[in-house]
Amino acid sequence: MSKQAGKGGAGKGKKPAKAGTDEKREDVLQAVIIADYFQDRFKPFTLDKPRCLLPLVNVPVIEYTLEFLASNGVQDVFIYCGAHSEDIEDYIYASTRWSPSSAISPFSSLEFIRVSDATSVGDFLRDLDKRGVIAGDFLLVHGDLVANIQLDAALAKHRARREANRDACMTVVLRSVGDEPHRAAKARGITPVFIIDPDSGRCLQYDEAHPLMSDRRTVIDPSVFDHGSFEVRSDLIDCGIDICTPEVLALWSESFDYELPRKNFLHGVLKDWELNGKFIYTEIFEDGYAARASNLQMYDCISKDILQRWAIPFVPDSNLMHDQSYRKVSGNCYFETGVKVERGAKVSHSAVGAKTMIKTGSSVTSSVLGRRCRIGQNVTIKDSYIFDDAIIEDGAYINHSILAGSVVIGANTQVPEGSLLSYNVHIDSEIQLPSKPPARIAVTTDSGDEAEPDVSLVGKGGKGANYEVHVDDSDSDSEDEGDRDPAVLQNGLIYSMEGLNISTLSVSTFASEDDYESDDDMGHTGYLHSGDSAGRERLSSFTSDDASKPDAFHGDAVTGLVDALRADDNEDFDSAKLEFMGLRLANNASDTEMRRAIAVAFTRRAAEFLTPEHGSLEPSKAAEKALKDKNGAIKFITDVGVGGDDVRQQAEFALAVQKGLVSVRGLESGRAGALLAAMLQQLYSLDVLEEDGILAWWADKRASEGETMNKVKEKCRVLVEWLENADEEESDEDDDE
Amino acid sequence: MAPVHAAYAPSLDKWIKSLRSQSLEASIESLIYLLKRRQVKGDECATATAHTLLQVVARSKWHDVDQLLNRVQSAGSRLARAAPNEPVIGNIVRRVLGLIREEATEDRNIDDDVGSESASDIQALTPVNAPNQQGNRPAPTPVQTLQRAPTGLAGLQVSKSMFNLFSAAGNSDTPLTGASTPLSQAQPASVHALRSEVIEGIQELMDELSQADDQIASFSDIQIHPDDYVLAYQPSKTVERFLIKAASRRRFTVLIANSEPIQPGATETPYAVLRKKLNSHGVTTINLATNALMAYIPRVNKVIFGAKAVYQNGGVLVDSGAYIAAEAAQEFLKPVIVLGAVYKLCPEDPSDETVISELGNPSRFVSYANGPEIDALEIENTVSDYLPPSLVDVYITNLGPQSRPHLASILADHYKVEDIGYSLHESEV
Repeated sequence: MSKQAGKGGAGKGKKPAKAGTDEKREDVLQAVIIADYFQDRFKPFTLDKPRCLLPLVNVPVIEYTLEFLASNGVQDVFIYCGAHSEDIEDYIYASTRWSPSSAISPFSSLEFIRVSDATSVGDFLRDLDKRGVIAGDFLLVHGDLVANIQLDAALAKHRARREANRDACMTVVLRSVGDEPHRAAKARGITPVFIIDPDSGRCLQYDEAHPLMSDRRTVIDPSVFDHGSFEVRSDLIDCGIDICTPEVLALWSESFDYELPRKNFLHGVLKDWELNGKFIYTEIFEDGYAARASNLQMYDCISKDILQRWAIPFVPDSNLMHDQSYRKVSGNCYFETGVKVERGAKVSHSAVGAKTMIKTGSSVTSSVLGRRCRIGQNVTIKDSYIFDDAIIEDGAYINHSILAGSVVIGANTQVPEGSLLSYNVHIDSEIQLPSKPPARIAVTTDSGDEAEPDVSLVGKGGKGANYEVHVDDSDSDSEDEGDRDPAVLQNGLIYSMEGLNISTLSVSTFASEDDYESDDDMGHTGYLHSGDSAGRERLSSFTSDDASKPDAFHGDAVTGLVDALRADDNEDFDSAKLEFMGLRLANNASDTEMRRAIAVAFTRRAAEFLTPEHGSLEPSKAAEKALKDKNGAIKFITDVGVGGDDVRQQAEFALAVQKGLVSVRGLESGRAGALLAAMLQQLYSLDVLEEDGILAWWADKRASEGETMNKVKEKCRVLVEWLENADEEESDEDDDE
Repeated sequence: MAPVHAAYAPSLDKWIKSLRSQSLEASIESLIYLLKRRQVKGDECATATAHTLLQVVARSKWHDVDQLLNRVQSAGSRLARAAPNEPVIGNIVRRVLGLIREEATEDRNIDDDVGSESASDIQALTPVNAPNQQGNRPAPTPVQTLQRAPTGLAGLQVSKSMFNLFSAAGNSDTPLTGASTPLSQAQPASVHALRSEVIEGIQELMDELSQADDQIASFSDIQIHPDDYVLAYQPSKTVERFLIKAASRRRFTVLIANSEPIQPGATETPYAVLRKKLNSHGVTTINLATNALMAYIPRVNKVIFGAKAVYQNGGVLVDSGAYIAAEAAQEFLKPVIVLGAVYKLCPEDPSDETVISELGNPSRFVSYANGPEIDALEIENTVSDYLPPSLVDVYITNLGPQSRPHLASILADHYKVEDIGYSLHESEV
C-alpha cells in the first residue's frame, strides 16, 4: 500500500485558527470520502473518467459532495480513490477552491489516500483504521453524494448517545420518502429495509430487498421481537451518510471479509449484536435533500431534481463553481453567458452551458447541455444529458440518453431512449441506433485500447463500437457477486424489468434462471413463527456474511445433478448423490436449499426433453424419462429431496418442482403445467409423493401465488381430482368391507 | 467541555469571529460561499457586507482614493454576484462607496479650505504654492519641515508606526500641509486619515444596521392605535420588534398570517415566541392561514409587511404570498404599511428578474413523499413577491414614516450619483 502524502500538511499550518490548537483538535469534524465504488454501473463513461468527475448538471459530482461537507463545517477531509485516482487528485489540486494549498479552501486539510490493493470499500476502511488519523467522530460519505441537509442536530444527538453509552458507535443518516415515493426513491433497484426502534431510533436489523426476489419478504430475526416496539421501514432513501466513531473502523478491521458498508457491515454488525455489543442508530430526516448518484437512474433523477430546485442551494444559478455564470431565464431554463438560441428554437426546463448554440427549429426539453455544444436545426432533444463540446447535426432526434463529451451525432440520426454514448463517439448521419437493448457505445474497450469502429452500428464515418457490460470481470468486484441481480436493474439509464431478460443473457445463465427464486421462499415463514431452530438455520444461511454462499451451492448443485442426469452411460446415480452431499456439507446448505436444487435439476432435465433437440417428447414421456432414466434417482429424490414421509415435506417438494418449472426459461406455462402434472403423477406412482402430500400442496396458498404459478397449477386439477376420487373410492371400498 | 458541543455548521457569527484569523481573500471567499449556500441571507447580508468592506478598507493595499474605490467595487460586486437576489448587498456597497467619496472630497475640501485659509495666513510670509512646489526649500517654520517629510517619504513606504506619528502630527498640528500637496498624488497622511475615517464611517453604518429595527419600532405607537386590528404578514424580525414595542404602549389585536403549510410533526405553532411576548403585554393574537386571509381583511385596520428591499420607484420586495394580502387590503381600502430601514432602499428600479422573483425549494408545498404529484406537476415556489408602488401607502424607515415621493430625497441623501449608475452585477473587475 502506498500513501500519497497530500499537500494537506501545508494547508494545515496556514490557518491556525481554523485548525485549532491541539486540545481543540478533537473538536474538529473530520470526513472520509469514498471516491471509488468498484462497480461498473457508469460504464462506458467511467472508462475515461472517474465517476465522481462526471458532470451532474455540468458540475463534477464530487463538487456537490465537497460543498456538502463544507456547508456542514467539516475541517479535515480524507479522500480514498481507486480507479483513475490521478485524475481525481489532479482535479482537486487544480481547483482553486479545494486545493489543499489554496488559501481559500474551507477545509483546513485535505488528503488523498491511495490503497493499491484495495478491492472493496471495506479495504479502504480497514486501511483507514491502520493509519490512525481519525481522532473523533467523523462523517463517512461517498463521492457521489448530493445533499443539502444540515447535520448539526444529528451530530449533537450522536454525541449525546455516545457519551451515555460508549457502544453507540454509528448513526446512519436517512431521508424518509413516504409511501408513494418520488422518482428518486423508485429508481433504486435495491430497497433498503430498516427495522428501527421508533423511540430511540436504534436500528435493529438491516436487509435489502429488490424486485428480483420472488417473495419480497424480509425475515425478521426473532431477537427483534424481544425488543418491544419496532418499525419496519422500507420508505427510506439511504444516502450513504454515516456519522461514525473510530470504533466503527475497528469493527471493519475485525471482520476482514466485509466489503460493503450496508449489505455486509451494517447487516453483519446488527446481526451479531450479541457478540459485539455495538449499537447503531438512525437519524431520519423528513425534509431536505439527500441522494447518491450511485447509478445512471439516480443520475437521471438527481439531475431533474436539481433542475427543479429540490436540492437548493444546489441549483445551476447558485453558480457553485467559480467559473460558472448561470442565470435563470424564462421557461424554467438556466443559461450561462454566451448561450445562443436562435429564433424559432424552443428550450424549456433545461440547463445550457456557456457558448452553446442552438439553431432554429430545434427543441430542447428537460435536458442538460454542456458548454460549447452545437445543436443544428430541427433537432429534438428530450430528457437527455449532453456533456461539453458535443455536436448534434440537423434533424437529429435524441430521447432520454446520455451523450458524453465531444460526441458527434450526424444529421437525421435517431438516438432512442436509454442510449449511452461515451466520449468521442461519432455517429454517422441517417443512422437509427437500436432501442432494445439500448446502445452503449464507446471508442475504447475495457483494456483501454481503441475499439474497432463497428460500421453497422455507427455508420461509415462513425467512431466507436458497442460496449459490452461484463459483470464478472476481474476488475469488477465484490458488489456484483453479492447483488448481481439488482445490479442488473441498475445498469442502464432506464429502469425496466423488460430489458432485464435481455441483459441477463450476457450475465450468466445461472444467475438469471435463479433470479426468480434466488432468495427462496420454500415455506420457512411457518418455521419462523414457531420460532424453532429450523427458522434460525434458514435465517443464518440467508443472512450469512458471505452472501454468495447459498447461490454458489445452488448453482453448483444444480449443474452437477443436471450433468449426471444427462450423462449417457448407465452409471448409477450414487456418485452424483455423493457429490451432492459433499457440496451440501461444504456449503452448510439447509434442507430447503437441497430440496430446491434437486427440484430445479429434475425439472430442468424434464423440460429439456420437451425441446426439439431432445426429441420433443410428450410431457408424460419426458417426466418419466427424467425421473426413471437413472437408477437410484428416485431413491435419491425420496431420501434427499423429500427427506421424509411427512406430508408437509412432500408438499414442499411438490411446490419446489412447481417453482422449478415456472422458472425454466422458454417453457410456456401451458406446457409447464402439463409437465408438472406428468411429473407429479410419476412421483405418485413411484411412491415418492403420497396423495396427502399432493393434496397438501394443492391446498397450499403459495402454490397459487402469481399468474404463472396459478396457470401451471390449474393444469394439475385433473390429477388432483382423480386423486381425490381415488381416495374416496378407497374409503368407499373400506366402508364396504 | 460544554462549549465543545457547539454546532459545526458555518454561520454569520462564526464567520465574523474568523475574520481576524483569516486572510482577507479567504474571508471574502468563505462569505461568498455562505451566500451561495444561503447560510447567510436576508438582513444578515447587510451586516456581512459591511464587515467585508471594513476588512477591505482596513487590510487591503491602496494608495489613493481611486484604488480604494476599485477594491471596494470589486469585492462588492463579487458578493453581489454570489447572491443576486439580495439587493441589500448592493446598497451597502454603494453606501460605502459614497462614504469613501464623501470622505475623500471632504478631505480635499478641508485641505482646500485650510489651504486657502493658511494661504491667506501665510501669504504674508511666502508666496502661495510656488515655494512649496520646489520641494526642499528651507522652510520658514520647523513645523513645515516636519510636514514635508512624510510627503517625501511616501514613495519609500514609511513603516506604519512612523507614518502614524507623522500623520497624527499633521492632523493635530497646523493644517498647513494641505496647501502644499497636489491632490492627484494622495499623500500618505491623507491616505491614512482617509482609511481611518472610512473605517469609522463603516462602523457608523454598522451601528445604523443594528439599530435600524429599534428605530423603526420607536414609530410603532404612532402607527398603531388602541383597539386596532393589525394584520402582520409573516412577521420578520423587524415587524416582530415593531409589534412588541407597540404592545408595550397600546392594546390591540394582531392577526399573524402565515403561508407556510404546517409541517406534519411540527410541535410548535408558528411564531410561538412572538405570540407569547405579545400576549404577555395583553395583546390578543390570532394565527391565520393565508387562504383565510380574505375573510379577515374587512375587519382589519391596517396591514404590515417587512420589506426585503424597497426600490426607488416605491416598489417593495416582500415574502411570497404578500402580494395577495396587499391586493386584498387595497380592495378594502386598508392602509398598507411597509417597514424597511434606509439601508434597504435601493437606488435603482427592480430588474425583470426581481419581478419574476426567485424560486425556492418546492418541498415547502409538495412533500417529497408525494411521488405522483411531483411527476405530474410543475411546482414553482416563489421565495419573494414584488409589490408595485401603487399597493403601498406608508413606508416606515428608521428615519420615520415616509411617503413615496419622499423616498427620492432619502436616496439622494444616502447615495452618490456616481454609484447609482454603477451596476454591481455586470462588472467583472
